[in-house]
Amino acid sequence: MNLLLLYLLLAKATLTSFSGVTSIPVIRHDLVEQRHVLTDRQLNAAVAAGQTAPGPNGLFVVSVGYFVGGVAGGFAGLLAVITPAFLIIPLLQYLGRKADKPAVRSAIRAVTFAAAGLMMSAIVPLARDSLTGIVPILIAIASFLFLVLTKRATVWVIAGAALVGLAARLS
Amino acid sequence: MTNLTFGGGTITMAALHTELVSLRQWLGQEQYATVYALARITPGTNMLAFCAGTAWELLGWPGAIASVAAASVPSGIMVMLLTGSYDVVRSNANAMAAVAGTLAAAVGIMATASWQLLQPYLDRQRSIHVVVMAGGALLLTLTLDLAPIAVLGLAAAAGAIWRVPE
Repeated sequence: MNLLLLYLLLAKATLTSFSGVTSIPVIRHDLVEQRHVLTDRQLNAAVAAGQTAPGPNGLFVVSVGYFVGGVAGGFAGLLAVITPAFLIIPLLQYLGRKADKPAVRSAIRAVTFAAAGLMMSAIVPLARDSLTGIVPILIAIASFLFLVLTKRATVWVIAGAALVGLAARLS
Repeated sequence: MTNLTFGGGTITMAALHTELVSLRQWLGQEQYATVYALARITPGTNMLAFCAGTAWELLGWPGAIASVAAASVPSGIMVMLLTGSYDVVRSNANAMAAVAGTLAAAVGIMATASWQLLQPYLDRQRSIHVVVMAGGALLLTLTLDLAPIAVLGLAAAAGAIWRVPE
């Protein structure tokens, strides 16, 4: 498949989705059903690879590109993932011009509180999937306390949690 | 950070709160929350929009481009390597145990970010706004499965009418 066409099809999917894996239906329609350049099994493996690797889940599109067009296809997928990110800048420019108005400042505060609520809601499914025993629960509690009480860099929590997870399996 | 965090963009954005707001103080709480909220309503991968927005606030367009490249290229290459050897990695129990540990930590990281976003406003004047807005967003998302863009839009409208004290 032509790389430009692959990029455009994947960009169509990423530009019309609002979170990591919600572009799957568009990708499946275009690449699996219409053009037959990807199989359902490859699409499932791409999603799993995107969730297994570090970074955003949306990077499964890179894996889709890799399945369709090899390394060059992978980079076409990466470009399709990156493209929509820059749409935030005109939004910030627009909001910046209005930020001195009291109603806008209050609305921004309200959005801050709602953003925290959204983050809490995202904890629920993650906790259901990942806190499946006493060790993961202790890791989660220890991570929270460590970050709140010590103000140390998050990378130490991530590295420590990986080591504890590995040690728990080996012990 | 974006290339070390497993489990998706929301976790990474939460982890970056500690780095950008609490530790380095490159962004204020409201600046972070504004970029976070706009990233949630930007098409595509929210975390990359967050990186673009944060870096644009600090360094303009060159920063935004560099930030998005730094957040996506190493992870993208890892995804390609993983795609090529997917079955081998998935069957390595030790690697998956380490990943499971980081996912458990992600719960604590996200709880920390939520707490740190709200904690400065938990005073006599604004606690009621915090409880109503954050609790409302949580309930609307969990019970009605409302999209983030709708929740944030409702919060912005409510905040414009029911003023949050300075």
